[in-house]
Amino acid sequence: MTGAAGAALASLVFPGTARSAKHFGTLAESELLIGFAHTSPVNDGGWTQKHDEAIRHLHALYPAIRTLYVESVPYSADATRIFRQFVAEGAQMIIATSNYGDFISDVAEQAPDTIFLECDGHRVSDNLGWYYMTHWYASYVIGIAAARLSRSGRLGYVASFPTPSVLASANATLLGARSVNPSATLRAIPINSWFDPQAAASAGAALIDSGCDFLAGIMDDPGYLRVAQQRGVWAAMWNTDMRQFGPDAYVSSVVLDFAPFYAQTVRRRLAGSWRAEGRFLKLGEGVDRDRWGARVPPAVAREADDVRRRILAGWSPFTGPIRDSRGIVRVAEGHTMSDADIYAWDWQVQGVSGLV
Amino acid sequence: MRGEGRQMAVISFRRIVIARMIAIGIVFLLVAAGIYGLGLDPGMVGRLVVTSTFGTRFGLENLALYMTPLLLTGAAVWLALRAGLWNIGAEGQFLAGASAAAAIGLSGGANPALAGSPAAFMSSSLTLVLAMTASFLAGALWSALPAAGRAWLGVSEIITTLLMNFIALYMVYALVTGPWADKVTGAQMSSARIEVVLPAFAGAVHCGWPIALLAVAMLALLFRRSRFSYCLALCGSNPEAARYAGIDVGRHVFVTLLLSGGIAGIGGMIEVFGTVHRLQGGLANGYGYLGIVVALLARKSALALVPAALLMAIILNAGIVLQTVQVSASAVLAMTGLLVFAIAVADDYAAWSRSGRAS
Repeated sequence: MTGAAGAALASLVFPGTARSAKHFGTLAESELLIGFAHTSPVNDGGWTQKHDEAIRHLHALYPAIRTLYVESVPYSADATRIFRQFVAEGAQMIIATSNYGDFISDVAEQAPDTIFLECDGHRVSDNLGWYYMTHWYASYVIGIAAARLSRSGRLGYVASFPTPSVLASANATLLGARSVNPSATLRAIPINSWFDPQAAASAGAALIDSGCDFLAGIMDDPGYLRVAQQRGVWAAMWNTDMRQFGPDAYVSSVVLDFAPFYAQTVRRRLAGSWRAEGRFLKLGEGVDRDRWGARVPPAVAREADDVRRRILAGWSPFTGPIRDSRGIVRVAEGHTMSDADIYAWDWQVQGVSGLV
Repeated sequence: MRGEGRQMAVISFRRIVIARMIAIGIVFLLVAAGIYGLGLDPGMVGRLVVTSTFGTRFGLENLALYMTPLLLTGAAVWLALRAGLWNIGAEGQFLAGASAAAAIGLSGGANPALAGSPAAFMSSSLTLVLAMTASFLAGALWSALPAAGRAWLGVSEIITTLLMNFIALYMVYALVTGPWADKVTGAQMSSARIEVVLPAFAGAVHCGWPIALLAVAMLALLFRRSRFSYCLALCGSNPEAARYAGIDVGRHVFVTLLLSGGIAGIGGMIEVFGTVHRLQGGLANGYGYLGIVVALLARKSALALVPAALLMAIILNAGIVLQTVQVSASAVLAMTGLLVFAIAVADDYAAWSRSGRAS
């Protein structure tokens, strides 16, 4: 039994597999119950708030559906219990707004008639799919502005954990910056949290002290934006428009919008046409750069937006040669990294330090 | 309190049960009032908790899965209490056992080519037996230092066993972010998945549940009018008298704490191979500390560990249910504390009213 489970698991681990063929019947709007599991409180001002806004949008579109949610779901077997509880309460669809790995896939195996979706997940089975936004394109665009705004060419990055997502974000920022200033560097400090304003502010201050005059990062809170405002350097944020916390320092943000994706998911579930798949939300489809900050010169904004337009038209900036931080060519000349490759990024590009 | 503690042994089972029922009833009323205070309908919430815990297969399975580690950590703390020792370190011993078991599970590796064959069955059975043995030894080893300190140097085991918990937790963090970090699925702070699993018992409930029940039954047998249990009780209540009677108190204390740690360690192995399938930072989930509650609820009877663990499991599962109506997980912690307090008062009341009547 264990061997078979292992083999089945191995085939599920890799993203980008074909859509599953399993059918789920149609449902009336009033029958649908969706359970949402969030990694932090719904008023965190960032990631979870964006998901919660999308849920409210769903209720506006489909007034008869019911939703449940649990905040601050731990990354432990208690997550499994929360997913199981959603099933016990009759949810036909369970959406984890962050990665819960086995804790969700184990329950998906036990409840084959319930649909499971995992944001930042990696597995696809008959009733388990994942979705994730290709935030690296927005980071690349912001990276171009960063190189133009920074005088020292030294960018700072307030990181959470050295996961592939975070590596992709930091790498993309520097690749964008290096496209206009080949000697730009990016130094990252992981603070082991997505939401820790105190630690983010300390990391931001330390980066400025070491000579960085542009701060990027991947935080739910505006902690390092406030520091940038006080110290007179630039900052780019994540999740939401945070300009009010540092109007002079604010450059842009990797802004998220899950409403269209959730609306489409519910529409497909009601119509009985939902199929499990791994789904990347493209630039402009749930992830984008925010409206530029008040002090960003129009010429800089224009230059970055020209590249954004090229990406929207289908061009990818993640084309070789790309070297890693030891100088070894990891993406050969002429080869372009697919979104699946970027989603599994486990090395830092040349010029990035502090993450691996 | 100490004197009354002696007397409690002769308080009738019925009196204790009645006093506790009243205490639990009061706690439930307080909790209902709290839920009402949050703007929720206590009747609706109560029905939701009852129907989703007892009315669904998933709910019943959850109870068994919660009971399993609680039975073992409860048994660990209970055993130490029989000798008058407070093992606050079941959490750390649980993690030490889990780590040792994971080491076996990760090094073995199921061979997919052998899947379903008798050879695969033999190799996974061997892994399970080795892992369980290793977890017992690791749990025992984790309590060895506090045990030796208490047995021969008189160092309070309450402090030392507690402090060992933090060492165990950070050891697990170091392992799962360092040498054992999962590189396949990007699971955070987790080891790779262990492919050998405890066989299923019923549905999602694995064999760990009957094993834990069996462990409690064995403990009950061991304490049924045995010389060992008498020696422990004597060591705990009056070490001087025990020494005078020729009992090696130090050795009894040492062995008891070692056994206690070993039982908690097996709990860690079962959680890894049955429920979580990885070594992971959040693995212990407070089971070591909740084991103290379970042991206190069970008083002097090993078999009472079963209803005590069941009650804790119901409360923990209620906590999961309550979170879906936005009652915070920490409210459950408050509820547990309230319950322990109420039951302590109830036990004392039962003892007090009896002695009052006798005199």
